[in-house]
Amino acid sequence: MKRSTDLYVDGKRHILVADDEMINRELLENILCDEYDVLLAEDGERAYELIRENRNTLSLILLDLIMPKLNGLDLLSRLKDEPELRSIPVIVLTSDQASEVESLNRGASDFIPKPYPQPDVIRARISRSIELAEDRQIISATERDELTGLYSSEYFYRYGEQFDKFHPDTDMDALCLDVNHFHIVNERFGMAKGDEILKKIAGCLVTFFSTSDCVICRKTADTFLVYCSHRDDYTSITDKISEVCCDMPTSVKLRIGVYASCDKKLDIRSRFDRAKIAADLIKNNYSVFVSVFDEKLMENELFAEQLVDEFPKALAEKQFKVFFQPKFNIVGDKPVLSSAEALVRWFHPTLGMISPGKFIPLFEEDGLIAQLDEYIWRCAADNIADWKKRLGLSVPVSVNLSRAEMYDPALVGTFEKITSESGITTKDIYLEITESAYVRDSDQIVERVKELREHGFFIEMDDFGSGYSSLNMISELPIDALKLDMMFIRNAFNKSGDTRMISIVIDIADYLGVPVIAEGVETEEQYLTLKKLGCSIIQGYYFSKPVPAEEFEKFLLEKDS
Amino acid sequence: MLTIDSLKQFGADTDDGLARCMGNEGFYFKLIGKVMEDNNFGVLEEAVASKDLDKAFEAAHSLKGVLGNLALTPIYEPVYEITELLRARQDIDYSGYLKKISDKRAELAELLK
Repeated sequence: MKRSTDLYVDGKRHILVADDEMINRELLENILCDEYDVLLAEDGERAYELIRENRNTLSLILLDLIMPKLNGLDLLSRLKDEPELRSIPVIVLTSDQASEVESLNRGASDFIPKPYPQPDVIRARISRSIELAEDRQIISATERDELTGLYSSEYFYRYGEQFDKFHPDTDMDALCLDVNHFHIVNERFGMAKGDEILKKIAGCLVTFFSTSDCVICRKTADTFLVYCSHRDDYTSITDKISEVCCDMPTSVKLRIGVYASCDKKLDIRSRFDRAKIAADLIKNNYSVFVSVFDEKLMENELFAEQLVDEFPKALAEKQFKVFFQPKFNIVGDKPVLSSAEALVRWFHPTLGMISPGKFIPLFEEDGLIAQLDEYIWRCAADNIADWKKRLGLSVPVSVNLSRAEMYDPALVGTFEKITSESGITTKDIYLEITESAYVRDSDQIVERVKELREHGFFIEMDDFGSGYSSLNMISELPIDALKLDMMFIRNAFNKSGDTRMISIVIDIADYLGVPVIAEGVETEEQYLTLKKLGCSIIQGYYFSKPVPAEEFEKFLLEKDS
Repeated sequence: MLTIDSLKQFGADTDDGLARCMGNEGFYFKLIGKVMEDNNFGVLEEAVASKDLDKAFEAAHSLKGVLGNLALTPIYEPVYEITELLRARQDIDYSGYLKKISDKRAELAELLK
C-alpha cells in the first residue's frame, strides 16, 4: 500500500504530461495545475525516466502517441511489461481513431482526443481514471493471501459467484482441503516450516487446476477452498501434494471434502459448508483422503443442529422425561427387584420420541450434557422422594455421569445438595460411571470416585467390557459393582454361545468382592445362563423395558406384596 | 496588436481556443505567439520538397494538434487536409496546400505585430 499513502503527502496527486509539443504541454499544465502537481516530458525517453523516478507517487500519465526518441505506443507497451509500472493508469492523447483502439488494446485506460475537449471534460476523465486505478490497487492489496498468493476468502466467494453468473451451465464442484494435523507440524518444526508447506500446497493446487476453470483460496491457516469444474476423482491431488512436499521433514497428507455438482440455488458459502462437513467426516481417518458430501449428511447435520438449538427450550418445557428400568437380584429362587436405572427420553412436540442415542453424543460434544444430567439426577431424586413419601417404598436408583462431569470439583457438592433438597439419602442414589472414563486421566477420575464413595455414594462401573481396563488397574479401583456392557453380553450369546469371558468377569467381580450386573438381558436363555454363571443382578427387556415413574410404582408395590 | 476581435476576424474560433486556456487571454495570445515560431512549419516544407513523406507527416500531424487546440481554424484546415494526404503517403503536388498554410500564417503574423 506504499503508493496510496504517498499519494497524499502534499495533498496533490502527481500527473505526468508527455507530449513533444510544448504548447500542448502548457495547455494541459494550465488546465490541471490547480488540482494536480504536473510533471512534463518532451519525448518518450524523458517520459520513461520520469515515470521510473516517480513510480511510487505518480497517479496518472497523459501520453501523446507521436513523439521523438520513443513513441507513445512503444512506451505504453514498456510500462505494461514492468510490474512496478503496470498499475499506473495511462490516458492517451490522440487525434486518430485508429490509434485510440490500439492504445486501449495495449493497456491505456482512456483517451482524450485532439483538439482537446473542454477542460471540464478533461478533468473529469482524469479524475475517473485515477479513481478506478486506486480502487483497483486497494483490491489488489486485499484480494490475495499474502503467504500463498491465492485469493482471500471474501474475494474468492465473489469471484466464484461471478464465474457462475457467466457460466450458469458449467457443472461445478466445491472442495474443502485441510492438512491432517497441521498444528502439530507447526508445533514440531516451527511456523516457518509450516508456512513453507502451505506455500508448496498452494503452488501444487494452482498447477493441478491450471487446465480447468477454477478459483482457489486459502481460507484460514491450513484450509484451502477450490471452486472448479466437475471432476470424477480427486484422489490424485493428495498424491501430488505428498510428492511436492517429499523434502519436508514430515509427510503431508490432505483430506478433501467434495460437494460435487453443486446446487447453484444454494448460497456459495453454503456449498463450501457442505464440502467442509464432508471433509470433517474423515478428520481422524488415516486411510481415506477424499470424502464426498451427500444429502443424508446434511440431513444429519441439520437434525443435530436443530436438537442442540432446541435444547434450552426443551429443558424449560420439561420435554425430557426420566424413565426407570428395573434391576432384579437373581441370586435367590425368585428374582427380586433390587434397584433401577434412570434413563432419559425426549418427547419432542413435533419430532415425537427421540432416542437418547441421537442426542446424548451431541450434548456431550456441546457441553450441554451437564445441564441435562443434573436435570435427570434431580428428577430421579424427586421420584425416589415421592415414592418414599406416598408409598413408603423405594429402591436405589442409579444415574449416569459423563466423563466431563467427573472433572467438576463441585460434583460431590451437587449430589449432596440434590439429595438433601429432595429429602433422600446418599444410599438412595447410585452413580454409574463408564469404564472408559477410568482409563483416560485415571488418577484424577479415581480421586473423584473415592471422594464420592467417602460421602456414601454407591459407584457402579458402567459398560464394563467395552473399554480397555487393565486387570492391574481394576484391582485398585474404588467401585461397588461391575456392570457388564450390553454388547458384551449380546455377542457372547449370539456368536458361538461362548460365555467363558462372562465367567472370567464374574470371577474378577468375586475377587473384588462386588456384584456383577448384566444389562441388555432379553431372553430366558440369557437369564438362566447368567444366573448359572453366578451373575447377581439383571437388567433388560427380559424383565422390563424402561418405564415412566407411574408404571415403575407397580414394581415397587409388587415387591412389597 | 493581437486582440480577440482581430483573431475573430482572421477566422479563429476564439471561444473554443480561450476555453482551453481557461479563459486567460494573455495565456492564449502567448501560445499563439509560440505556435508562429514552431519549427514544424519549416520542417514540413523541407520534407515535402525532399519527398520525405514520413517526416512531412510527423511535422504536419504535430502542427495539426497544436493549431486545433488553439482553434486557429484558417491555418488548421489546410494543415488537417495535408496531414490526411500525408498519412496515406500520397505522392502528389503539395505546393497548393503549403502556399495556403504559408499565406494564412503570414496573415496571422501581421496581426501579431
